[in-house]
Amino acid sequence: MKLSWSKYELSKSYDEYITPKRTVRGHLRKIGNFFESLSVNDLQELDSATKSAIKSMGINFRIHSEEGSEERTWPLDFIPRIIKKSEWKIVQNGLEQRTKALNYFIEDCYNEQRFLNSGIINKSLITKSKYFLKFCKGIKLPNKSWAHISGSDLVKNIKGDFHVLEDNLRVPSGVSYMLENRYVMKRVFPDLFSHYGVSKIDEYPTKLYECLQDASFSKLKRPEIVLLTPGIYNSAYYEHSYLAQQMGIDLVEGSDLIVKKNIVYKKTIEGLQKVDVIYRRIDDDYLDPEVGNPFSVIGVKGLIRAWKSKNVAIVNAPGCGIADDKAVYSFVPEMINFFLKEKPILPNIKTFMLANKNERDYVFENIKTMVTKPVAESGGYGISIGKNLNEKEILKLKKLVMKDPKNYVAQPLIDLSTSPTFRRDSLFPRHLDLRPFILSGKQTYVTVGGLTRVALKRGSTVVNSSQGGGSKDTWIVDA
Amino acid sequence: MLSRSAKHLYWLARYIERAENIARMIDVNLELILDFPDDHSLNWKPLIDTLDINDSFESKYKNYNESNVLNFLFEDKRNLSSLNNCLEMSKYNIETIKDDLPKTANISLNHLYDHILGQKISKVHKRRRLQHITNIVSMTQNFFGAINDNLSRGYEFEFIRLGRFVERTDMISRIIDCLCISKSSKQTHDFSTMEWISMLSTLSAQDAFRKESKGEANRGEVITFLLKNDSFPRSVFRSLITIEACLKNLPKNSKLLQMINRIINISERSKLHNFDDIRLHLFLDNLQKNVSKIDSKIHSTYF
Repeated sequence: MKLSWSKYELSKSYDEYITPKRTVRGHLRKIGNFFESLSVNDLQELDSATKSAIKSMGINFRIHSEEGSEERTWPLDFIPRIIKKSEWKIVQNGLEQRTKALNYFIEDCYNEQRFLNSGIINKSLITKSKYFLKFCKGIKLPNKSWAHISGSDLVKNIKGDFHVLEDNLRVPSGVSYMLENRYVMKRVFPDLFSHYGVSKIDEYPTKLYECLQDASFSKLKRPEIVLLTPGIYNSAYYEHSYLAQQMGIDLVEGSDLIVKKNIVYKKTIEGLQKVDVIYRRIDDDYLDPEVGNPFSVIGVKGLIRAWKSKNVAIVNAPGCGIADDKAVYSFVPEMINFFLKEKPILPNIKTFMLANKNERDYVFENIKTMVTKPVAESGGYGISIGKNLNEKEILKLKKLVMKDPKNYVAQPLIDLSTSPTFRRDSLFPRHLDLRPFILSGKQTYVTVGGLTRVALKRGSTVVNSSQGGGSKDTWIVDA
Repeated sequence: MLSRSAKHLYWLARYIERAENIARMIDVNLELILDFPDDHSLNWKPLIDTLDINDSFESKYKNYNESNVLNFLFEDKRNLSSLNNCLEMSKYNIETIKDDLPKTANISLNHLYDHILGQKISKVHKRRRLQHITNIVSMTQNFFGAINDNLSRGYEFEFIRLGRFVERTDMISRIIDCLCISKSSKQTHDFSTMEWISMLSTLSAQDAFRKESKGEANRGEVITFLLKNDSFPRSVFRSLITIEACLKNLPKNSKLLQMINRIINISERSKLHNFDDIRLHLFLDNLQKNVSKIDSKIHSTYF
């Protein structure tokens, strides 16, 4: 039996392949027809070829739960997510603009505070935040880059327009999976790539390396760069090891580094060797026991002193988390206005600040249509989706919010777009988001596409791999 | 190269080589027992003596019988040198350096882990036991073969080779030492030729020995061969030369080269033929001490 789009289950959301009239969207006609020519057997074969390629390459991630921690094979759905190049160009410009504004904002927060004093934002929202690090005051960085590497989560709404859902400025992960997804797909669908003019994505490690070079305070042509990982039990260790390998730099743990007279060295078999740039995949609080968590064993004592003396660059810079906050997010359009004198290209999603009584009342009244989020969490943790809650849970949520309202925001539930996704024996619509990665060095670079994450459960919008989400290869095509 | 990576590579190789040698010792003893089924004095104690783990053995077992010794050497957690522990330690060491090694090397180690870890030797049928142990040896050789064939020559390679040959020197000298001690303590038997041959076969050296010496396997010949032969890869002398070759390719090596050259000189000059058991034991004991000094110096220099 062949697959037929006329039998495809229509979703209530925007489906990126199939129109409500069950026709294949124009730019996808070729690939839509290709999938329609396949039988259930073919699909299952493609699925198992994908899985075995991933297994044999050892692409995995680690999950921590109450039952302990385990390694899981990376979940990739073989139906690609396809975006037109012309549409992507706009997203790319929008992300460049946004990231620039965010970086200017961070440098401003720790220096002149022009934006904070402009009356646009409640200043204490920033200065009282746990991510506002006082020791960063007065520091200026090359190219005003604080969040050198960021990842913004984008979603398509019911009309199929991209919106920014959040900006991740604190060691966002996933880029290695974006690269590996492509690698696997090329092995599974060698013929498709030649037909569709898919833009290549493999320049990322080179661009990342250049971005790290740009961050260096030292004038050396080839600064010494290392990637600092918390170690093998970190859920993103696979990515740390992958990126270090791709860039040909050392993957170090805290104990491999030592600070002497405010200079950072790595311990090598030839003796101590000066380090100029650290791409850290450790949270601010654990970086240096002298200023953060005093019990941190994964950090390096004296690292912040060395950074403040401009002897070592830390990427992303300490303190950049101040802009990675779901409350600050809602001010990004104003930042773009303020710092760049431009109109935002990519729209935000309306965000209600629950510290504000009027907004809170409105949200509480309409809580069934809202998503409530703690401002400073990541990885999808702590999010409450209103329509899934019963009366008892709603009461509980309201109580939780009232305890510390400034710690919560709410957004109207977005009907995330869907794409056909292989489940057992056929294709079904499943919700998607997209995480492109943005590098801020001398120039700003946006990945070609990004990591598409897909919620594998019917109707679910939780795409995080730690919570059962899958992924897709993202194709930017000429059409 | 990071000190930590170098240290992990070195210890990875040491633990794999140690596991191989323990498997070899068990293998040969099992075979020897098949040849002398009625001789109860042929016991398993020398294996424990060789590894110098009698105290921890006796804290758990009274008798040096086959099943006790086999359990202890295979899976006992209290025995730091049990096969299981060696492999667990190698697993720990490889975790952060996996990506520095060729894929084939990783695969061969995974096979080894699947084969051994969590297995109880008492659960392996007697008929399959010898094969089970021989498999360990071929799997470790598979790993080192993958390293030899696929890993570029550089610091990574040298630290693996260094660890392997430091461990090998130590293990060979222990195996010889142990057999000499056990021999002198039980004079009642007359299968010495068998014993010397079994020592050779522990180290896969029978063929090489026969080709070189063309004579009977007697004490002087065998010991001289295993200690001083300069072409057999499992002789002490050859292992020392290999260590020297590794060190030559590493930085900051002057002190270490001095040390290894001194040991090589001593081995070259010694007249082993004339040594009685006591002098031989002293010689071997000294050799082990010197190897352990090299090991500490490697640690203080590179790690």
